Amino acid sequence: MTLLGSGLCLLGAVLLLVAAWGVVRLPDALSRQHAATKAGTLALAAFVFGVAVLMPEPAWIGRLALLLLLLLLTLPLASHALARAAARESGAVEDLAARGDER
Amino acid sequence: MNPLYACVFLAGLAALLGFYRLLRGPTQSDRVVALDILFAVAVMLCLCAALIAGTTAFLDIALGLSLTGFVGTLAWARLIDRGQAQARGRS
Repeated sequence: MTLLGSGLCLLGAVLLLVAAWGVVRLPDALSRQHAATKAGTLALAAFVFGVAVLMPEPAWIGRLALLLLLLLLTLPLASHALARAAARESGAVEDLAARGDER
Repeated sequence: MNPLYACVFLAGLAALLGFYRLLRGPTQSDRVVALDILFAVAVMLCLCAALIAGTTAFLDIALGLSLTGFVGTLAWARLIDRGQAQARGRS
């Protein structure tokens, strides 16, 4: 059980590092938010499951379940808002609208 | 060697990359994305602290941090969105 929990925690940490690496390396804000939010959600979910496996006590499980629920509810909304801001700031929305008019 | 300390090290590395983007980011959106990833790092470090200290207090801090990060990210992203929409509407 300790091995599984530690493995999930390490997986989460490595995924978070991959997300941060994507934020540094990808070319524009739209693809950066994609890397940060998708990989970040998976990393935090894996880490929360790892902690839950390591500490199977009611006080921990309840708080971790609440934390996971909040993360899964709020991170997609934040991702959507970030994508809107990035697309609006880079002009991608206006480009798409202009291309739609041509057709 | 406790694998938890390896997790702390990896999260610290991710925080450094996030700070690089926060300081460097050419546009406002890049900085909000960096802030989002920094809040994710902070939540993960809180969970690590809870495991190392063995208390549930840090889990409550992680809950508060995740909510604060959500509201902050949403507010800043909406601000950029509104500002850009108004600037384009006026011109």
